[in-house]
Amino acid sequence: MIEGRDPNLVKELIELGGADLVKCYQCGTCIADCPTGFSETPLSAKRLIHIVKLGLREKLLEEETPWMCVTCGGCEERCPREAEPFEIVLAIRRWQCKEDDTFVPLALGEIFARGHTQNVLNPIRKEIGLPEIVTVANNHEAMQKFREMLKETNVYKRYSYIFREE
Amino acid sequence: MKFCLFLGCNMPAIRPDAELGIRLSLQTLGVEVLDVEGASCCPAFGTFPSVDEDATLAINAWNLANAERKGADIAVQCGSCYSSLKLGRYKLIHGKLEEINQKYLSKVGMRYEGKTDVRHIIDIMHNVIGVDKIKNSLRYSLKGMKVVVQNPCHVLRPSKKVGFDDPENPIALKNIVKALGAEVPRYSRERQCCGGAGGFAKHDKKANLEFLKKKLDAMKDEVDPDCIAVSCITCLMHMDNAQAELRKLGMIDYEIPVFDYCQLLAICQGHDPSKVARIATTPRDAVISKILRNKI
Ligand code: SF4
Ligand code: SF4
Repeated sequence: MIEGRDPNLVKELIELGGADLVKCYQCGTCIADCPTGFSETPLSAKRLIHIVKLGLREKLLEEETPWMCVTCGGCEERCPREAEPFEIVLAIRRWQCKEDDTFVPLALGEIFARGHTQNVLNPIRKEIGLPEIVTVANNHEAMQKFREMLKETNVYKRYSYIFREE
Repeated sequence: MKFCLFLGCNMPAIRPDAELGIRLSLQTLGVEVLDVEGASCCPAFGTFPSVDEDATLAINAWNLANAERKGADIAVQCGSCYSSLKLGRYKLIHGKLEEINQKYLSKVGMRYEGKTDVRHIIDIMHNVIGVDKIKNSLRYSLKGMKVVVQNPCHVLRPSKKVGFDDPENPIALKNIVKALGAEVPRYSRERQCCGGAGGFAKHDKKANLEFLKKKLDAMKDEVDPDCIAVSCITCLMHMDNAQAELRKLGMIDYEIPVFDYCQLLAICQGHDPSKVARIATTPRDAVISKILRNKI
């Protein structure tokens, strides 16, 4: 093993949902139309895949670009190898969360606390004649069940400090 | 005909008027709109999908199972919700269903059979209801008006898993806007995404605004439209709100009002614009007055 290079990195990414990354032949089609190309520090699925294949753990952990993805699916549609670059971007985020807790989005806690990323009980509803919200945000019994289900997940077990019942 | 309306988070939280537009226009077209008790966040890509796939599929399945109990497919407008639920359903019915049911849903007495599907509003309007029925429901029209469309990325790509339209040359949204009587001219950056979803704006605001400006400039220079029709809560909020920022920064000197498709449809069907199109950053009054002068 060359110093700093870890051949297991590919396997770890495959397990986290990037199964098709071995198909990538570095053509760069995925970056041609990526919206983040407007940035001076764009997200390049091609480059990230290369880093994974080289086994450069530290370099991959430094990358903030996976979090720029707008989830537009452009790369996924156009990749000639069906390497599923968008799924790989998500898999890299998961790997980063696993390596370093500070990557884990706090929105997870919001969803656990109220079922949504934000407060969906907008008072305007009544004014304009919308029916009452019936999602978990307004249904105690369903909310309890929803939380019980989430407690079964590894995310809950591992990052329990994020999750609070408001 | 009945559908379970999936609200997601942004629409009820920030733009409940768009939700009203969807409900009223569907009901006017004879669709029974059902509410899903116990629905939650889809979950959005920046949340559970960025941390753990099993937890993501469990929440997808939770939402699908709740709709399945109502015996109807899901109708959804938000592109991200559509994509999260549709891709989740794809993964479930292509292998993970039993495992997710057993490990998570069964623990709280639930189960997703894989029956309930996820349909986007554009798909329902174009392929289930159809343009003729839409035309017959109108009391006002967009005659004499030019409208450009912004298709939500998430309904087009990846086309094999989520698509119902041609990903390179989508026509469904155009057709249903034309059904309202508008002219829908082509512009060069029609296929460009709005840039509003995910972390792009948060990580590089300047590049994000420049990206959207390119698209808006193409609309303005090539078409000079009365308004933009979208069918995704992120497109609606981003294209509307970011215009104010672009003007403040001196990057653009024009305004293009933005409507959700169902807001335009509901107004054309005679529903109260002060309710179905109440919230906007870029003023829409001129467009609304124009529509109300176009009585059929
Ligand atoms: S992910 Fe696909 S499009 Fe991107 S470089 Fe690899 S093969 Fe080419
Ligand atoms: S899905 Fe993400 S990485 Fe792929 S083209 Fe869109 S923004 Fe870029």
